[in-house]
Amino acid sequence: MDRPVVGEGIDRVDARVKVSGRATYPTDADLPGLAHAVLVQSTVAAGRLTAVDTTAATAAPGVLAVLTHENAPPLREARDRLGPLPPPPLQSDRIVHHGENVAVVVAETFEQATEAARLVTARYAPSPPVVDIDDPGAEHVRDPFGSDGGTGDVGAALATAPVRVERTYRTAVNTNHPMGPFATVASWEGDKLTVHDSTQGPSNTRIGLAGTLGVPQDDVRVLAPYIGGGFGSGLRTWPHTVLATVAARHVGRPVKLVLTRKQMFTSVGHRPDTRQTVRIGATRDGRITAIDHEAWQTVSIRDVNPEHVTRASLSGYASPNISARDVQVRVNVPSPGSMRAPGDAQGNFALESALDELAYELDLDPLELRLRNYADRHPVTGQQWSSNDLRACYRTGAERFGWSRRDPRPRSMRRGRHLVGYGMAGTSFFFAQFACAARVTVTRDGGAVVASAGMDLGTGTYTVMTQLAAELLGLPVRRVRMVMGDSSLPEAPVAGGSGLTGSMGSAIHAAARNTVRAFLDLVRDDAGSPLRGAAVDDVRVEHGRIVRVDDGRGESYAEILTRHRQDELTAEGSAEAPSEDEPVVPTGPYAAKFAEVHVDADLGVIRVARLVTAAHCGRVLNEKTARGQLVGGTVGGIGMALLEHTVTEPRTGRIANGTFGDYLIAVNADIPDLEVHFVGGPDPTTPNGTKGCGELGIPGTAAAIANAVFHATGTRVRRLPITIEQVL
Amino acid sequence: MTMRSFTYVRADSVDQAVTEVTADPEAAYLAGGTTQVDLMKDEVFRPLRLVDITRLPLREVRADDDTLTVGALTTMEELAAHEVVTDRLPLVRQALLLGASPQLRHMATMGGNLLQRTRCRYFRDPDVACNKREPGAGCGAIDGFHRMHAVLGTSPHCIATHASDVAVPLLALGASVRIRGQGAERVVPLTEFYRVPGGTPHVENVLEHGELITHLEIPLPPRGTRSGYLKVRDRASYEFALVSVAAALLIDDGTIRAAHLALGGVGTVPWRVPRAEELLRGAAPGPDAFAAAAEAALGGAQARRDNGFKIELGRRAVVRMLSTLAEEP
Repeated sequence: MDRPVVGEGIDRVDARVKVSGRATYPTDADLPGLAHAVLVQSTVAAGRLTAVDTTAATAAPGVLAVLTHENAPPLREARDRLGPLPPPPLQSDRIVHHGENVAVVVAETFEQATEAARLVTARYAPSPPVVDIDDPGAEHVRDPFGSDGGTGDVGAALATAPVRVERTYRTAVNTNHPMGPFATVASWEGDKLTVHDSTQGPSNTRIGLAGTLGVPQDDVRVLAPYIGGGFGSGLRTWPHTVLATVAARHVGRPVKLVLTRKQMFTSVGHRPDTRQTVRIGATRDGRITAIDHEAWQTVSIRDVNPEHVTRASLSGYASPNISARDVQVRVNVPSPGSMRAPGDAQGNFALESALDELAYELDLDPLELRLRNYADRHPVTGQQWSSNDLRACYRTGAERFGWSRRDPRPRSMRRGRHLVGYGMAGTSFFFAQFACAARVTVTRDGGAVVASAGMDLGTGTYTVMTQLAAELLGLPVRRVRMVMGDSSLPEAPVAGGSGLTGSMGSAIHAAARNTVRAFLDLVRDDAGSPLRGAAVDDVRVEHGRIVRVDDGRGESYAEILTRHRQDELTAEGSAEAPSEDEPVVPTGPYAAKFAEVHVDADLGVIRVARLVTAAHCGRVLNEKTARGQLVGGTVGGIGMALLEHTVTEPRTGRIANGTFGDYLIAVNADIPDLEVHFVGGPDPTTPNGTKGCGELGIPGTAAAIANAVFHATGTRVRRLPITIEQVL
Repeated sequence: MTMRSFTYVRADSVDQAVTEVTADPEAAYLAGGTTQVDLMKDEVFRPLRLVDITRLPLREVRADDDTLTVGALTTMEELAAHEVVTDRLPLVRQALLLGASPQLRHMATMGGNLLQRTRCRYFRDPDVACNKREPGAGCGAIDGFHRMHAVLGTSPHCIATHASDVAVPLLALGASVRIRGQGAERVVPLTEFYRVPGGTPHVENVLEHGELITHLEIPLPPRGTRSGYLKVRDRASYEFALVSVAAALLIDDGTIRAAHLALGGVGTVPWRVPRAEELLRGAAPGPDAFAAAAEAALGGAQARRDNGFKIELGRRAVVRMLSTLAEEP
């Protein structure tokens, strides 16, 4: 117990319930009278429904109801904490994307519902869909997030820059695809709605559902103690979740709705494709004088989805002139959503590729170029960083990778029939901390239960919060139990933006401190207590005891509760998002990525041979789970770079490769040894020193690989994914 | 997904199986089921009666001096592990082990492998047009997304790629299938077994309804033959070929005495190239001969919007395969 519990790579506290099948996922909710819902989705991408014939489906065995836009209840356009929800389902005859919900069939069994769903005949008056980001007929929304910004005069600086690059880059649609198909089990008791859902934010989904259904938030409870992964697809409140609640109310029974894998392509978001133009001006000695980044991304016709692609260009490098602008292009595709490092994943690829191109223009080492343009303060606002060890990331990463062995000339390094390429990229990610509350209950047996509505989508939140609470309460890890994933617990933000560790950790920090304070209040006038009269700053916690700092005297939680005949003592705590407007700006994590690729000189087959990441994540709460996040993110980044591509047919708006056989996700054989090194110190913004590392593995990975492919082959590929035909 | 109802019969003998299926136009055989069950779930294939043949005595591998006889129910893993395959047929072993996944290879049978249906997404999605699934319905792939599709043996009605890996080396080696129907047994070389789509993409081979492949007969190349299978794909594993090449060369005294060459991933059927084999026979192994063979191998290839790269990739893969074999010690 004298070893620090925080930081240690302990095994997951939920590992045993998971591997023994006792963890309850949304599909496991089995309620008395459970009925089953199956979706019918549109087979055109634009137009109007002229008829939905439900006669045969309604008459099919076991069918309880068939809901279409003609008989579905009115729903409201609502917002949750992330912004507007996707348009509510079954509200009109208008179709805006292929795979849009046109009916939901409810039956006694899943098989009956599936069979009846086949019997629903939807007829359409289709119109030609607009699906291409370059379609001149598409509506453009400029500065959709109010995030465009910059400093100086980019135009003038570019005009006079001795060296300039201007390039256009493209990234493909990617689809999140957690292993667990998304599912909702909804049940009503009178006006009270309980929802088991594949959500990354029970509190947030409660807000979204209450708003859509027009019911008080207090009447809605959302549960997600475990989900089968999310990668961001569980952040928004999706139409199928709404439909499960509507169906349950309609049939007066609990209803389960599980998406098929095919429906996962059209129902729970995706990373939108982008077209980005980056212009960089520099002096001959490699000082950047201007960064201009404009990014177009697609969004569904009636949707708003915050995806700030150019964000890192506003803060990544020291440049006196910066302009970064986002444009959304409305097309007939399903609603997008966050996919691990939304915006940053695409934006980083363009910026870091362009920097590599600049380095070649300058005949300067790409690493040296980045070091020369390190931003020692925020280049637009002038604020100081709360912490920024990016240079240490570069140094450590380069050293571990062996960057100095790189011959900078393209096609200069070979191994047998393979061209060998080294490429690197820098990554600066945003800081996120949202308002969060937590509750600590210390029981007479000397253990603690810590509760917060936030959830663990598989990242290790249960584990790191247990470790943190154990440290803050002076208890062994095994005496602390985290209760999470339930909107009836103290409100918490979504597990997104790499922000939950900072948010919930800060709330638990406050709650733990309030707990100690509550114990001291209890013994304030207790003549039998060595702690009598002590204030919270006079004590520390260790070995299940509260101890005076000055003389080391103290007593245990259990002793205090026993003497005062109390079973338990509870305290809550909360933390707000920090201000962004102070002279010191809360600063997110950083990383440097170094990739080695081998490209078959004749066949163009590209394989990543190794990838080294050096990351500054602030204080690492659990070395093992943090490493898992970086490694997992890097795997996703390799997929984004070389494999993942959700193909939408221009003519039909149909997703042409909507299966796991056709949408390629990296398999083990694609993944080499991935090295991760943590560097740098804690960040002072949060009391626990964390920065968040959940998404840091993604941005930078594709650029490092693309830069390595250029180094290997001499071919600059500006379009993801990089496939054989682009380097043949 | 769920499946439609069907009846299930387990056959105790080859004769019974053949009789059961022949008598019922809605019946089909069930062996490993690794493709078939997927197609049933996706509503692409809707048999009303499945005749399970997995208990029939067709799971055996026998070798004599010049032929390997493989029972049609032998699994991919079993064949890959067979000592004669390891020893004499590297191209077959490599093709087997580069296909599917270990789990699938332990279920999938050799007969079923030769009959596996295309991975074309338009074939496998009942919501879109496919001439192979529904004759006369049209082809969604020709104007759709067809990066994986065939450049050889196509027709205006179908460009779906044949998906089998192991059929490629078997075809190259001149293997045959032994077929049982209600009448007499017949033996058909693979070169005559598959049918290019033409105007009837739903007809993929010469089997009549009810006919059953009972055995594969693989001629063993002379000792000293070098052979291999090269599979080029986007993903490093668990992925179909963009292009694959099976080749066997017998090189003696600086001359190619015998050559076998077939391509996968590029044709609507596994694609053997007799012209390329002719060019190789009698030639000195080297870049010139290999380039000529590669040119011939892709002769007549027709590119469409997304899949043109397969032609050059195919040529390069042929050269790579042949030069790899020639360089073997």
